[in-house]
Amino acid sequence: MNRNATLRATGLIGALLLVPAAARAQATVGQPAPAFSAPDQTGATRSLDAYKGKWVVLEWVNHECPFVKKHYGSGNMQKTQAAAEAKGAVWLSVNSSAPGKQGAMDGKLATSLTSSKHATPTAVLLDPEGTVGRAYGAKTTPHMFVIDPKGTIVYAGAIDDKPSTDPGDVPGAKNYVLAALDEAMAGKPVSVTSTQPYGCSVKY
Amino acid sequence: MGFSVRRTAGLAIAAAALASPAHASGSRNVQASLVSETTSIQPGRPLQLGLRLRMADGWHTYWKNPADSGLPTKLAWKLPEGFTADDLQWPRPERISAPPLMSYGYNEEVLLPVVVHPPADLPAGQTVRLATRADWLECKEICLPGKAELEITLPVETQASSPSDAAPLFAKTRGLMPTEGDVWRARALSVPRRLVLSFTPSVTPSEAYFFVDQPQVVEYAEPQKLLRTGDGFTLELTPAVNGQTPSRLSGVLVAESGQGPRAIAVDAVVESAAAAPAGTEVVHTRASLWVSLGAAFLGGLLLNLMPCVLPVLSLKVLGFVRQAGETRVWRHGLAFAAGVVLSFWALAGLMLALRAGGERIGWGFQLQSPAFVAILALLFLLIALNLLGVFEIGMSMMGAGNRVQGATGLASSFWSGLLATVVATPCTAPFMGSALGFGLSQPKLQSLLVFTALGLGMSAPYLLLSASPRLLRFVPKPGPWMARFKELLAVPMLATVVFLCWLLGQQTGVDGMAWLLAGFIPVGLGAWVYGRASQAALEGRAHRASMAWAGVLVAAGIALALARGTVPVEAVPGAASPVAGQSLGWEPFSVERRDALLAQGTPVLIDFTASWCLSCQVNERVALSTPAVRAKLREHGVALLKADWTRRDDRITEALASYGRQGVPLYVLYGREKNAPPRLLPEVLTPGIVLSAIDEHLGRSQAAEIRR
Repeated sequence: MNRNATLRATGLIGALLLVPAAARAQATVGQPAPAFSAPDQTGATRSLDAYKGKWVVLEWVNHECPFVKKHYGSGNMQKTQAAAEAKGAVWLSVNSSAPGKQGAMDGKLATSLTSSKHATPTAVLLDPEGTVGRAYGAKTTPHMFVIDPKGTIVYAGAIDDKPSTDPGDVPGAKNYVLAALDEAMAGKPVSVTSTQPYGCSVKY
Repeated sequence: MGFSVRRTAGLAIAAAALASPAHASGSRNVQASLVSETTSIQPGRPLQLGLRLRMADGWHTYWKNPADSGLPTKLAWKLPEGFTADDLQWPRPERISAPPLMSYGYNEEVLLPVVVHPPADLPAGQTVRLATRADWLECKEICLPGKAELEITLPVETQASSPSDAAPLFAKTRGLMPTEGDVWRARALSVPRRLVLSFTPSVTPSEAYFFVDQPQVVEYAEPQKLLRTGDGFTLELTPAVNGQTPSRLSGVLVAESGQGPRAIAVDAVVESAAAAPAGTEVVHTRASLWVSLGAAFLGGLLLNLMPCVLPVLSLKVLGFVRQAGETRVWRHGLAFAAGVVLSFWALAGLMLALRAGGERIGWGFQLQSPAFVAILALLFLLIALNLLGVFEIGMSMMGAGNRVQGATGLASSFWSGLLATVVATPCTAPFMGSALGFGLSQPKLQSLLVFTALGLGMSAPYLLLSASPRLLRFVPKPGPWMARFKELLAVPMLATVVFLCWLLGQQTGVDGMAWLLAGFIPVGLGAWVYGRASQAALEGRAHRASMAWAGVLVAAGIALALARGTVPVEAVPGAASPVAGQSLGWEPFSVERRDALLAQGTPVLIDFTASWCLSCQVNERVALSTPAVRAKLREHGVALLKADWTRRDDRITEALASYGRQGVPLYVLYGREKNAPPRLLPEVLTPGIVLSAIDEHLGRSQAAEIRR
């Protein structure tokens, strides 16, 4: 009996020691985007390397956050998604809210929200453990990343230049995501490669 | 009938509207109101208003740079013609940590001051309504946008107005505003993978944090390492992942020290450097607290052997010997310990209060005052005379007189504890100055813990004896030896008196010391009169007359000593230790002189010392003045600076703080390399220690010289 317990304890300690410390990875503009693999709202697994050769936009979402509501309520996020996809980009909305925290969703909720808000992401990735979020250093909802076909990050930061919760700010705002896509797709250097993201904190 | 009711109602409403200067609104979680510091507007004079936000428990609002998430509070004014408003001002923010994210903002309540400028031609006698819309983000677990339409109505008057009810809030907020100006000489360096903020504070920080106010410069959630370098401190910041090195670094630097938090506004040009300045990390961990508590306890134990404390405590033990065999003696032990600990607290509390008031003092400060030294010398003289049997104290706090029978009451045990502490203070300074100084540099709670440990250490032997009757077997039985022992204890007491006289002589010169000694005569005489009168068991008038004579004599002695013996002499630089000093060629210390010597590449040895610091005096005679050390210092061309802290000197106190110390002794050795951190020598010096330190620290630079 005693030996069993000792063995178990040793095994547990050994396992803890072997588990690598959570990588303080960051998504640095100009560097390869961190790889990830996460289930989407239907349960299928999506990974970044499956989209090599395509433009990818990552959008961190929390449907209860007033900043996200500003963009979805005004139709701005849906318009941006449609415009990006029209250019051939893949749009992945990522939800990193931990279970029980604001914005946490399962596949069913994600599907119904997407259709009720008339959003058109290619997929909604469910990241309740926060693995993808931490790998990218996602801080706020919304927090946007644009990745080129080679897998390099060309933009990281806010969706536009008006940090507020007021939908009235949307029409006059400069959309950094579409600007980065336009410039990069045309082969020009991206003029604004990163901005301080604004929004609610990601509820890890 | 109806008409007049309506008119009355209308008047009432109008009156209410005029009477209310401000109203609060907002949400359930945050109440916002617009307040004014004064009760009226003066044309052409700036008007101090403020946005007051009261947040429910757990809810917070944000600073001008909310950091990782959040939105800063803002105002949109609707002002009458001719009025302008400045930007919101921001008191020092707090950290709101939600790993892996960090935000900057405010909890509970904040007043954001804002200045409004009325036009100079504003006619007096009217009331003006200033309106604004406040927008903020309030967050706890979730975030909600908050807004409020606010207004304030004030009369316009030409004569000066009076403070409003909100004036105290404005005064308190002024204390929270970051200090402007380059008071701490903040400099910013960009080195590989780090942004370094270096500063020279006027307090010794135990913790520091820099709130940057520019976006995308710093990774907010990364910890900031505080290092102590040669001439100050540095804070190492992690640059933002996707940010760029800015040309200027601006924000608020907040440093915690024994005197509470201080906020300094920083706006520094960022220079590039190859590497960050080297330094040792300031570690504010539990471990260092336990170490200092242990050291304080040991120090307290050692205090029992000090010449000033030994007599008092030995007498207590003697009294205890007599009490042996009684029940509940441990209560006396507790009362004694309580007296000791409480007096240490009182002393520490006094020091902290003085420092909070801005006094630059370190431990041992009380011995920097000639009056205090004189009074202490007289007190010790009286105790020595008592021990010699010149007189007995009726209520016998020491409990060793022949009259004492059995228990003397818990109160007297308490008072003996108090007396023991008072008597111990001159002995703590010489030997424990720096340890206690460290304790005082910590936040208040830690300071109190250090002093508690000290008090417990000092009372530990007595506590032990009183708690465990079995130990009494080792204490000798009462007998005539007790009287002899008591008389012999006068010797260490008198030794302390000699030390105090010497100390006073350093502070007030030979003449001052002579006046103190002159004061000893009437005091001794008065004690003798008192003693004889008690012994002769006089009655009535004779008794009263004797008491009066005794009192007059003692008072006269005290007055003589204080009046003529406490006039400080003109500070003669470097004269404090003439024996050790002049032969070596010590210059008086000043920061300018040190910097000038360092700029020339001259190695420098700084000796922070004081006359009342016995270990300083011992170190100087035993180590620094030996021929071998003197020869080596000459050989390396070391410039010698002596910082004499015998009397209050704010500049020396600041210099000590800049090296992270609160007391003396301190020995600082600078080599020839510019900007290299100095080497701090240990507090107990031997010639060997000094020689090897010089070899290692200067021998290296000499080798570098040769290689070049």
